[in-house]
Amino acid sequence: MALVKLKEFCIPESPGQVSACAAKYGDNALILGGGSFIHGLEARGLLSEVEALIDIRKLGLAGMAATGEGVRIGAMTTFAELEKLPELASAAWLGALKDALTYPPMQIKNVATVGGCIAASCPFFDIPTAFLALDAKLTVSGAGAKREIGLAELFAGLFENSLEPGELITEVRLAKPAGRAASAFIKLEGTANDLAIVNAAVRISVDAAGVCQEVRIALGGGVGDSVVRSASAEKLLLGQKLSADLIQHAAEAVGQDISPMEDHRATAAYRLAMAKVITRRALNQALSRLN
Amino acid sequence: MKQLISLEVNGDTHEIAVEADATLLSVLRDNLGLIGAKRGCDSGGCGCCTVHVDGKAVYSCMMYALSAQGQEIVTIEGLGTEGKLDPVQDTFVKEGAVQCGYCTCGMIMTAKQLLHDDPHPDEHAIRHGIAGNLCRCTGYHKIVEAIKTAADN
Ligand SMILES: Cc1cc2nc3c(=O)[nH]c(=O)nc-3n(C[C@H](O)[C@H](O)[C@H](O)COP(=O)(O)OP(=O)(O)OC[C@H]3O[C@@H](n4cnc5c(N)ncnc54)[C@H](O)[C@@H]3O)c2cc1C
Ligand code: FES
Ligand code: FES
Repeated sequence: MALVKLKEFCIPESPGQVSACAAKYGDNALILGGGSFIHGLEARGLLSEVEALIDIRKLGLAGMAATGEGVRIGAMTTFAELEKLPELASAAWLGALKDALTYPPMQIKNVATVGGCIAASCPFFDIPTAFLALDAKLTVSGAGAKREIGLAELFAGLFENSLEPGELITEVRLAKPAGRAASAFIKLEGTANDLAIVNAAVRISVDAAGVCQEVRIALGGGVGDSVVRSASAEKLLLGQKLSADLIQHAAEAVGQDISPMEDHRATAAYRLAMAKVITRRALNQALSRLN
Repeated sequence: MKQLISLEVNGDTHEIAVEADATLLSVLRDNLGLIGAKRGCDSGGCGCCTVHVDGKAVYSCMMYALSAQGQEIVTIEGLGTEGKLDPVQDTFVKEGAVQCGYCTCGMIMTAKQLLHDDPHPDEHAIRHGIAGNLCRCTGYHKIVEAIKTAADN
């Protein structure tokens, strides 16, 4: 957390004050959400030039609301607050988010924010994988202008996002899918307090005849520089009547869309094998929630 | 460059001059002499620095002291009253849930929130709840037992 060049710790109370601090320090200003990944970035040598921290907890960006259309989550909502969203307990289409939120330890859930977990652009986190399968849309605002982007557009490589200096994620929106939909998430982890070896989230909609109307399959955790969708697996399922064989076949296909890495957590071969296994399990878990 | 901040710790207000990148843990230990919260990994991996901020267990090594302004901080020193341990502390002692003691203060702060959120946790909930706290001595068994007993009492 030590920032050798730090000159200023700003705690803005309005968007104008954010812009003022961002304008003064440009690329060397760092937004501070819950702060739980600052060490992670610093330890990788990514924060050596930071001159200003902009702590955004006083901007009123925490809070969430569910409507018939879906869920809106303020960027500073912590995981612990999000877990209390009543819809998480009841709505099958949000199952992936509910599952993903069970993994981080209590002390992280109490501080980690929805905006921070996304902006960190860390493929090893769990909640972003769930958000990708849930087709999350982001509201991003900077000096004056506001824009809406899809989650995938935010990721610009390992620990890199596409935000301009002074731009913030202010809100995450999850639209409720049409029809009968359910989602699920699974993380493979070495220990309870570690980041994912691999993780997978799926959302699937099925009609009364058991035909897949829509599907999203997202993978994270050492399978690429960013969390990724598996277009190959999705294509195999879309429009088809689902069977155990087809699900197995689709799960195998995720191998075509990921680039598993080798590190202290696992070999690339193990990641590849387990990505297929947990995708199959996540698909089955989501389908079991449809009934 | 140091700046003057005000922190509310265990019911007392402290005016302290800190570096802008000082963590809450370093201010508690090095400026205020509250050495109950331990510096283990200093990187969110062990939990022995756990304190409460506005009633929530957090890793004090992962929070900037400046971010903790305006919030109520409670450390292990703030539990119990003069001459009388908090019931969870008392149970840890009586159940022998302490060996070297390095993890204990953080473990108890986590157990406090766990029992606050779920007054009657089963074993799985206890083990899941303390997953962010490492103990290298006890093998966890006695810690889990102590939390169960504290819940029963
Ligand atoms: C011990 C430990 C265990 C963990 N376990 C898990 C786990 O099991 N599953 C999991 O999914 N994750 C886990 N994590 C990761 C955790 O999810 C992230 O650390 C957290 O989500 C980051 O959010 P934050 O609010 O703390 O972000 P910060 O640390 O404040 O910021 C992270 C990055 O995002 C930027 N940022 C923050 N907010 C915004 C915003 N609104 N707009 C633009 N940029 C912003 C910051 O500038 C920084 O670059 C773990 C982390 C630790 C330390
Ligand atoms: S010292 Fe804070 S988690 Fe280890
Ligand atoms: S008692 Fe020694 S680390 Fe837990």
